Order: sequence, then C-alpha cells, then structure tokens
Amino acid sequence: MSTTERVLTDEMVDAIRAYFSRYPDKQAVTLPALHVVNEALRYVPRQAVVEIAELLELSPAQVQDTLTFYGYFKQDKPHGETRAWVCRSISCALRGGEEVLEHMCEKAGIKPGETTEDGRLTIEFAECLGACDFAPCMLANKTLHKDLTKETAEAFLESLD
Amino acid sequence: MSAFEPVLLANIDKPNSHTLGVYEAHGGYRALKRVVGDMLAGDVIEEVKASNLRGRGGAGFPCGLKWTFLPKDHPGPIYFCLNADESEPGTFNNRILMEEDPHQVIEGLIISCFATKAATAYIYLRVEYPLAHERLQAAIDECYAAGYLGENILGKDFSLNIYLHRGAAAYICGEETGLIESLEGKRAWPRIKPPFPAVEGAFRKPTVVNNVETAACVVHIINRGAEWFKSMGVPADPDNPRDAGSYGPKLYCLSGHVNKPGCYEAPLGITTRQLIDDYGGGVWKNRKAKAAIPGGISMGLLSEEEFDLPLDFAGPGKAGCLGLGTAAVVVLDETVSMVDFLHNSCRFFDHESCGQCTPCREGTSWSVTLLERMRAGKGRLKDLDLLLEIGDTIGIVPGSTICGLSDGAAWPIKNAIRKWREEFEDYIKTSNPTGYMETDPVEALPIVSHGH
Amino acid sequence: MGTVTVNGQEIEIGDDERLNGIEIARRAGVDVPHYCWHKGLTVVASCRMCLVETGMKDAETGDVSMLPKLVPACQTPARDGSVFVTDSEKVEHARAFVEEALLIDHPIDCPICDKAGECLLQDYYFEYGQQSRRADLRPFTSSRKNLGETVTLFADRCVMCTRCVRFTREVSGTAELMVESRGAREEIDVFDGFPLDNKLSGNVVDLCPVGALGDRDFLYKQRVWFMEKHNGVCTGCSTGCSITVEENQDTVYRLRPRENQAVNQWWMCDEGRYGYHHVHDEKRLTDPGQRVGQKDEPLEWSSLGERLPKHLESTGRLAGVISPHLTVEEAFLFAQLLRSYDPEARLVLGHVPVVGSDETFPSGFTIHAEKCPNRRGVEEVLRHFTGGVTPWDEIVSQASTFDGIWVTGGYKTEWVDTETAGQLRQTKLLIVQDMFPSAAWECADIKLPGVAFAERNGSYVNFANRLQSARWAVRPPAGARVEGSVFWQLLGNPGLYKSATVLAEVAETIPFFAAAAGAIPDTGVDLKAPELAPTQ
Repeated sequence: MSTTERVLTDEMVDAIRAYFSRYPDKQAVTLPALHVVNEALRYVPRQAVVEIAELLELSPAQVQDTLTFYGYFKQDKPHGETRAWVCRSISCALRGGEEVLEHMCEKAGIKPGETTEDGRLTIEFAECLGACDFAPCMLANKTLHKDLTKETAEAFLESLD
Repeated sequence: MSAFEPVLLANIDKPNSHTLGVYEAHGGYRALKRVVGDMLAGDVIEEVKASNLRGRGGAGFPCGLKWTFLPKDHPGPIYFCLNADESEPGTFNNRILMEEDPHQVIEGLIISCFATKAATAYIYLRVEYPLAHERLQAAIDECYAAGYLGENILGKDFSLNIYLHRGAAAYICGEETGLIESLEGKRAWPRIKPPFPAVEGAFRKPTVVNNVETAACVVHIINRGAEWFKSMGVPADPDNPRDAGSYGPKLYCLSGHVNKPGCYEAPLGITTRQLIDDYGGGVWKNRKAKAAIPGGISMGLLSEEEFDLPLDFAGPGKAGCLGLGTAAVVVLDETVSMVDFLHNSCRFFDHESCGQCTPCREGTSWSVTLLERMRAGKGRLKDLDLLLEIGDTIGIVPGSTICGLSDGAAWPIKNAIRKWREEFEDYIKTSNPTGYMETDPVEALPIVSHGH
Repeated sequence: MGTVTVNGQEIEIGDDERLNGIEIARRAGVDVPHYCWHKGLTVVASCRMCLVETGMKDAETGDVSMLPKLVPACQTPARDGSVFVTDSEKVEHARAFVEEALLIDHPIDCPICDKAGECLLQDYYFEYGQQSRRADLRPFTSSRKNLGETVTLFADRCVMCTRCVRFTREVSGTAELMVESRGAREEIDVFDGFPLDNKLSGNVVDLCPVGALGDRDFLYKQRVWFMEKHNGVCTGCSTGCSITVEENQDTVYRLRPRENQAVNQWWMCDEGRYGYHHVHDEKRLTDPGQRVGQKDEPLEWSSLGERLPKHLESTGRLAGVISPHLTVEEAFLFAQLLRSYDPEARLVLGHVPVVGSDETFPSGFTIHAEKCPNRRGVEEVLRHFTGGVTPWDEIVSQASTFDGIWVTGGYKTEWVDTETAGQLRQTKLLIVQDMFPSAAWECADIKLPGVAFAERNGSYVNFANRLQSARWAVRPPAGARVEGSVFWQLLGNPGLYKSATVLAEVAETIPFFAAAAGAIPDTGVDLKAPELAPTQ
C-alpha cells in the first residue's frame, strides 16, 4: 500500500455497520459493504477492500476473493456516470440485441467493459436481465430501456450529452 | 380456450397494485391472519404438502416435503431464503411479481416462515432488478408498520424479520447452496450435499430456500385450499408412485420470436403451441417456428414437432429436454441458425460457471471454444462428437459435478446437436470445406476478452 | 466390525471408524486418484477425480444395488454394507475426462517444473489419462509470481484444487490466499501488500498436487528423482515434527513433514523446514584440535581413543554438560563415559534455548518456544544418573572447582557468550564438542567437531514425552565425528556405534524409556509421563 489515506467515509462506515445486526456473522456483510462503497464511489478500489476487511474482521484476500467472483465491481477506476448493461442472452439476442450492443459500442467508441474518456458512460454486456418481454433491453443505472433498436440506442447515447 | 381466472397475476393490472392499501383491499393478508390466528405451523405444512405444490425455481421439488426435512424441535435459529435471483435466460415472472405485486410474495414468505419456524428471512435479490428492490423494500416497510413483520406479529408469539440482500450479477447465486454461500459473504461456490440446507444451511443452521413464485402460491393454497390447488394442472400418473403431479397455476414466460412476448398465467400443462398461438399472438413476422426452449435455456430445445407436449413437470422430459425448469418459453423461428443458438448458450454457461469443479469449469470453457471456432469457419465434424461427449459427461445427472449448472450447459448442446445434426454438419462443411474432416487437434483461435 | 466391498474385495471396517471411499479403497490396496481431498482440510469434492460407483449390499440377500450416478469417493462414507467400484468403464471414463480437462490449459512445463517426478497430474496422466490431446492447440503461458518470502506461484499450472486456500483459512488461520475471478479464468493469488507470510507457509507447497506452488528455498535446486528420502525428526523445537530429510550425494536439499497424527498431523513450520542450511555452512568445525601453549595443534581422531581416557582418568574431578541437542543414546553414552573416568562426575543439562513463547494455530499445531529437540530425553537420562536435573549454570560458576569439564553443544545459534566461556575456562581441562565456533570453542583445550541432526542416528523425546528415532541422511564433513560414535569408541565398546543397540539398553536400564524397547515405529512411541512430575 503506497498510501494509507482512508477511502471509506464515516458515512460509508456507518452504513456498513448498520448491516451487522441483520446477520449472525460479519462476513455476511461483505456484499452489502461492497455495494455501499460501489454506490458512493462507482468502484471499489483496493484500499477500500482493506478497510472493509478491517471492519468485517476478515483478511483483505477474503473480501477480494468474493469481490472478484462477481463481474460487478470495478477496481481500477470508477465506471461511468451511466453504466449501461446491454443484455446478450438468448431472448435479446434473438431480437437483435447483439447488433444493438455492437452499434452502441461503435458509436460510443468503446468496447464492452470500457468507459468513455469523459467518464460519462460505461457499456457492459449483461446476461439475461429478466426483461425478455421487452427484448432487446438495457439497464442504464436504474432505468430499464425496453424494446431497444439501433435508433433508440443512439438516441439514448445522445441523451447523455 | 376456457377462461382461466388469473390467480397470481390477479392484481397486477390494478393501479398501485404494489401498495399495501390496494393489496389489502383485494383480500391481501387474510391468509396470514388466518394462519397466525387459527393454525399451527404443522397445519400449514400439511396443507402445502397436500397441495403437491412443486417449487417454481427450476427443480420442481415438492415444497411441503422440503419443509419437512427441517429437524424437529430445533432450538433455532432457522433461516428462510427467498430466491429472487431469477437469472435463467428467458425468465422474468419473478420480476413481474415483485414489481407489481410484492405483497403477494411477502405474504407468502411470512406464511412460509411461520410454517418453518424461521425467525429471519433473507430475500436474495439480483442486483439487476432495481425496481423490484424499491417496491419490495417499500412493501416490507409497510408490513412492519402494519404489524405483519417484526416482534409478535398480529399479537402472537411469532416474530420475523425480512432483509433484502442484493446479489452482484452471478447466475450461480440462484443455486440454493450457491445462494447461501453468497449470502454468507463468500464466493458463490455451491456446496456438496449432504448436508442439505434443511439440516445445515445458512450460517450452518437449518435453512429453507424457496422461489418467489412458490411463495406466492402459498397464499392462495391457504386461502382456497389444497384441493382447489389440485383442481388445476396435470394429475400425477397413477402408475408412477414417484410422480408428484403438476398442480396449480403457473406463470409462463414467453419471449423470442413471437408477436406478444409476455408473462401469461395458465394451469400447469398447456402446450408450447397453445402458449404461442393463444397467448403469444403467434410466431412473428408470419414465420414458422423452428424450435423453442421449454423452460429457460438450461432445459434444452423442443423441435416444432414437439410443441404439443404439455409444459408440465413431466412433459419436456418426454422430448429429451431436462424438464420444465422455470417454464420460460423462448421461441426460435425458422431463420435461426442452431450454431448461433448453441454459441449463445455455451457462451452464457462458460461465463456463469462458478469454476469450482473440473468438469463444468473446463467443459463449459471447452464448449464455447469449439463453438467460436465453428462460427469462425474453422469447425470440424469431430467437434460435434466432442461437444456431445462434453454434454453427456458433465452434470449432476451422471454425477460428475457438484451442481446442476453443468446439466443446464449440457442439455442445449445435446438437444441442439442431436435434433439438428444435419444442420450443424452442413454448416461445418460449408464454412470449412478444406478442414472439416480434420481429426487431429487444430490451432485455437486467439483469445479475445473484454468486459468481465 | 462391518464389511465394505471394494471392487469385489471384502474389507473390514471398525464400528468406530470414520473412513471415506478413498481410505477404504486404500485398505484394499486400491488407489483412488484425487487432487482436492486431504484429510487435514475440509472436504470440497471439487476436483471430481475421485468419482467412483457406490451402492449397498443387502446383508441378508447379498443383493447389491448400485446408485445410477457416480459419487466422489472423498465425500462418501464407508459403512457396513457399502459397495465401491473404482475400476468400471464408467469410472474410468469420468476420470479420464477430468484428467483431460485439467490438461487443456495446463502448460507442459515438466522439463522446467520442480514438481516433475512427484506430480499427481503427471502420475494420473500415465495411469488414467486419454492418450492424446483432443482440445485445440494453444501456445501456453507460464507466469511466475512470488506470494511471499517462502512460496512462489506458477498460476498457469494450477488445477484449482484450493488446498492451499483452505490451508491458510483452516490450519494457519491467516487467510492470505484467495481465488480470484470466476469460472475458467480463476487464479490463486494473494492480496497486494498482504503476502503469504505465516509461519506454516511452506506447507502449501507440499499440499499443491502440481507444480503451481514452488518452494523458493528448493526451487530449481534438485530433481526429486535424484534424492533419497530419510525418515528424521525436526530438531528445531521441542515439538519434534516427523520429517523426511531429502538429499543427494550428501547434500541436504529439502526437509518435508511426514504424517504423524500424534505430533504434527501433516505439517511442519517454516523455521524447521528451512532450518537445515547450517548443515552445509562452511563455518562448520571440521578440525579436531588441542591447545598447546597458546596455539591449537591438530589432533587425530585415531589418537583420541588412546590419549583421552588416560588423560581424563588422571584429571580428577570431572563435569559433563549434556546438550539437549544430543540424542537419548548419546546422552546415555556420554553419562556412562564420564562416570567411567570419574564415578562422581557431575552431569548437568546444557543450555536450553528459548525464543519467544509457544504458538498454537487454529488446527492445534504448535510451534514451541523451546528450540531444541531433546530436553526431555536428556533430563530423564540425567535423573537416572544423578537423581535430578541440574542446569549447567552451577557448573559454570563453579568451574574452578572442577579439574575437567566436557561440554557438548550442537547448537545452530549462539549458546555461550564470552563471559560464560571465561568462567568455564577456570577449569583445568576444557573439552568442547560442537558444530560451530564459539567463545567456548576458542579457549578449549580439546576441540572435538560434532555433527548436525541430519548426520546422526538417534532418538529424541519431545515436549509430550513421545520418543521418535531419526535416521542419518548425509555423512558429516570430513573431520567431524558423530558424538555417539566418539563416546561408543572411548567406552571401549566393540564394533561400530549402533544407536538402536544403545536405545535397547536405555529402555532396559531406565524405566522412563521402557516403552522404547523393541523396534520404534515411524511415528514414534509414547513414553509414559513420569510418576512424579519434576518441578521446573
């Protein structure tokens, strides 16, 4: 650790501590803690992992083990202000989802998993978002975009500017 | 089609159906009041057992029977986990229930906890359902305020806390012990069984894991009785003592190449053809159907000739599919390439394999490698034999893996290649005319990775 | 008693025994291959290499009903009536598939991999694998990363058995190791800035079934098939872990633990594991000498037998300091020897090195603060000869009242300072028998180079009164002589020094050692605790 500057604010620590009473074991607060940090910072830097581990009385390796199992938490730098998950599973793929994803990536100039230079947008592929009734679909932050087409995807990209 | 009165979807079109007020105005929490006021835990278990309610999460295990696996007179704590990690491709009925009628789910959950003597319930909710999260949390808050949750519910010696626990985008968290490991804060590697969760589950205590739709059914079983529940569906085969029948209403998800994708409620046992034609507005673009997934991608594929089999717990198996699964039907029209389908499936399972046991970790990875090379025009006929061998070898059916994810990976491979062998062979021969006969190992494609 | 059938063979199982399919098959002489199972760790049944067929045999009818699906032998208990089949086509195919699956991405590093020759992936490939590769050909990667001071990781070779991760979580309790990522992209790693640095770290290399984890101390030093393994006992502390000393042509390359449920389970600590380098330290004493005036003159070992007894008989009042590094046999012979010159010779316990305090790990494994292997054994020899145990401080302070003091050492670290040496020097004749130079050695009249643990046969009694016998592994450097051999010859005993003969005499003579009569098992023998526990 080159720097021991704390990453978790008092607010985040309080939020994490609030979960302790829900579980008989502190390790169970791992995912909730990761979400607390991720929601605040848009990523979970390694220093945060060390601090979460301290709070939960785990080793950093144990927290990192859990974190990296999921593809959900970025660690090197924050994801974009908007994180757009475009579904690539069967129902969306059957209705053109992959082509929409490809089109979006081309327009935004990034590959899935990447963030635009200006930090506004991250595009990710998702596995079945559970909205197959509106396939192809995309979850952008908390908003579900339904019946996506290349055109509506482009309009979405423009709306971010 | 006789008019089927919706049960689970009865309320979802009503404005503000997700609020306590609307729910109670239509009879909500009547079942809970009766259970807590007049019944013993054992009575509830008996009623659910008598209904032959089978789990709606994919495995179809009799719910009441599962509840009886809990140790008698356990000092506690007993945990209940509601599996809201719905991630099976093609499936979205839990999402609709949680978004539009969360109280139905919660009432069912509270009743289930009463029956199993669980004092703490965790709703393991996938992170990709933010609206469901919002609505469930609001509903839970309303319940605490109304005295349906917390200490001494309805003035009785029954206390329950429900906590929402969000996942982080991993399909395997829908597997019951994968869910438990994830709940405990570890990587979601499913556990070996025995011990079963009912004996040793979350935090090493007795735990029941049930699906969202299953919980919702419990409300109606209490309200209208086991006999009513059994009046719908497909009765058990009298010659097969192991057949638990397929009773009750079922939410069928319909998506893919149909005019009206959506969630449709019908008694268990309608056929794929009925679902497409009577509910789904028929195959889109005036095309014909080629195939359909019967119950989420893990179940494999029905060919169009097999569309008249009932979609109950026993039906899809008769066509060599894995089972009813989540009853999520995905329709593929005549223009779909089976190679593309299988690639999508193998890619999904390779991405989602938890990686714990060798046959699944390496088998799913190997299968997607083969499909990618095939689609890149470098496939061999031998690859089909390799894929089938992988499909026949990995899974809990042969016993080679810890959990059923690999069976889910295997079944689409087996169904697609065995039912459309000629199409695969033609594709390979046409796209790789000079190399399709090769039997020695060939160069791998370079690995391209992005995202996670 | 119950009966289990393994491949048609009937095997007995005790009512209290808790064995799994692998263990019961072993009893039948059948090997069930496995990677992830280890008796000292939780069962995960994830490698799937141990898949077998199982069923039950009806006690009355004799009918066997087999389960339709395969089960991992490691998680299947063997009970009365259990049936296991490990050699059917179904089992063979499942095994071959696992082996093939593990080899798909495994770099064929054998020519440069330490594990070659003791690698399960290699062994199982030859025994159970498919003959040729069917997966696509991909250029293999081979990366290396140090996980800490002691262990290095070749991540591409890993088969994801997770033994190493489970070890750090369950046995050392330090949880430095983790699995990163998901699916086929998983890798073992440590968290940046939190290296693998617990005191039991070396054990993960033993546990690794392939060459993914390497021991930095041993890396690239020797091919395993050139080494001979000798059963030994670690002399680093009073735990007395059972070990093997592995050498080639008189050079020790590696120590590894042996399974001993009564002492160290399957483990040894890093201090013990890597504590053999002193055996080949060039500072070791190799020249017997005698002080003449102000100078040291060479002394022939061959002349010792003639001159020393005459010398010592005429010296007068003698004292002998018995180092807790000497074996039981050597302590006994030394006491006999000194008493043969002076029937009233004082015999005392040499310096007992203590560092820190005892450290116990979650699994129960303990590293003791007492950093010598045989204080208990030496004490009981002393009790027999003197009626009690006297520390050597008394002799040191009264050195001038003795005409001769013979001090045995054998310590790896400094055990005598200049002041103490100065006090010892007050005696007329100072004999020092040791491995490394010291202040005492400097001023000794007779200097006798002694040997290291790997060079002697003999027995040690650990903190729990367990006696274990070690075999010599390498010959001492020319010029150094095994202490036991020196004492044996000086006593005028015929033939070569054989520690087993001496131990038999010790067992007969000293009641404390009675249980050590007869052949000593590899895991040692439990001596009863003394009737009256001595006050410390």
